[in-house]
Amino acid sequence: MNALNLALLASFTAPMQIDTTPAAMLWLLPLVVGIAVVYKATKVSSIRPIPFAKETGVLIGSILVFITAAALILYGVAWFVNEHLPSLLGRPGF
Amino acid sequence: MSPSWKDNHTLFLSVVGVLAWLIPGAGHFALNERRRAYVIFVTVVVMFFAGLYIGSVGVIDPVGAKPWYAAQMMNSPAVFFLGRISTGGDYLVFGRSNEIGQIYTSIAGLLNLLCIVNAVYMAHLQVIEQEEA
Repeated sequence: MNALNLALLASFTAPMQIDTTPAAMLWLLPLVVGIAVVYKATKVSSIRPIPFAKETGVLIGSILVFITAAALILYGVAWFVNEHLPSLLGRPGF
Repeated sequence: MSPSWKDNHTLFLSVVGVLAWLIPGAGHFALNERRRAYVIFVTVVVMFFAGLYIGSVGVIDPVGAKPWYAAQMMNSPAVFFLGRISTGGDYLVFGRSNEIGQIYTSIAGLLNLLCIVNAVYMAHLQVIEQEEA
């Protein structure tokens, strides 16, 4: 086995360094692309490159919009619960 | 509907399902859905290997992460052998890399499960069309 093959195999035996930062959320994007491509591949009647790419793009956009909306709503709820709810209930914060 | 036809039908659907599990996209390939098969194969395999690259082979953990392992097994029976490699405890992985690697490999497996079901359904439709023709 040559050095290239060994290096390739070794790259699958040690994990990548991914910090717990907001940037780690970007790993979501390739996942969304993969989900949209496979889902559309099972749904369209025939696969022609341009219509397929268009439909997949629309699905990717829809997923991202809904994820963003859900994140904003959850952020708003968390902000309200932490900042305003304690004063409304007359108790110290959570 | 004769018993022999039903037997053949069941066998055909089973073969398509098993093919789709053995190699992602192979079920569609057997049904002459070549483009669909290539798209499924490339996407599922790339997603699975991306997960392995991110978290290492340690993300396939048949002992400590059984639900994730069940989803990963949907990729291919080959995952069983990868699971045996990581069972020895030589490739422990923790933290964000583990989470993201597990999510990628498991989602790839669940997407392949969707493709297996779709291939079997398409095979069923083909048989029905042939019977009606």
